[in-house]
Amino acid sequence: MKQTEKILCPVCQVQFVFREEKQIGKKIVCPVCGAVLVLSKENDNWQADRPKDMTPEAEIRERIENFARFRGYKFNQMKEPLVEGLLKKYSRFGDFYCPCKIDNIPENVCPCLETRQGSVEKNGRCHCGLFWK
Amino acid sequence: MKKIMVYALSTCPFCRMTKNYFRSRNIPFDSVDVDLLSDEEREKTVEEVQKISGRRAFPVIVIDEEVIVGYDEVSIQEALEK
Repeated sequence: MKQTEKILCPVCQVQFVFREEKQIGKKIVCPVCGAVLVLSKENDNWQADRPKDMTPEAEIRERIENFARFRGYKFNQMKEPLVEGLLKKYSRFGDFYCPCKIDNIPENVCPCLETRQGSVEKNGRCHCGLFWK
Repeated sequence: MKKIMVYALSTCPFCRMTKNYFRSRNIPFDSVDVDLLSDEEREKTVEEVQKISGRRAFPVIVIDEEVIVGYDEVSIQEALEK
């Protein structure tokens, strides 16, 4: 029972089931948003945190690669300027908020809520043009 | 001559491309990087953008009365030719 308990992703705030063996310090990937996370245990409960040993650039690059792979999305020549925009948001506002949205709020953390909810399927791309169908 | 306004964010590549579109064609336009405005100005401008586009995402391009959300060369060209 304990092995299948849900883990809350601190990036997309979705709880996911993690069936693999859990170890403190193990790197895992959120199956919803692609965030790289590190397992830890607090009060006998497993939790996942953002990695502290990755540079912001490595963290966001790995996250968007994972998310694109999960969904079958592609990148194009807009990827690099958008990663640059995400890093600017990170240095100004402390997180990878969408470079094309004014509100620096959790639902706009890349991949943003509307993208996770399928806007790429509907429009062929996310608003920013980072993820393409 | 058409009155053109580009609402942009300094972090958004498509906003830069929109401005370059007009610049490279020598088409005069006004623009504002909304995220670089003072708090008060920013709120006022974002409200304005939301009122005309229904969103808080960028770029928003206004060509005379026409509002284009996102960088869409075809729509921009059509609006310019109207």
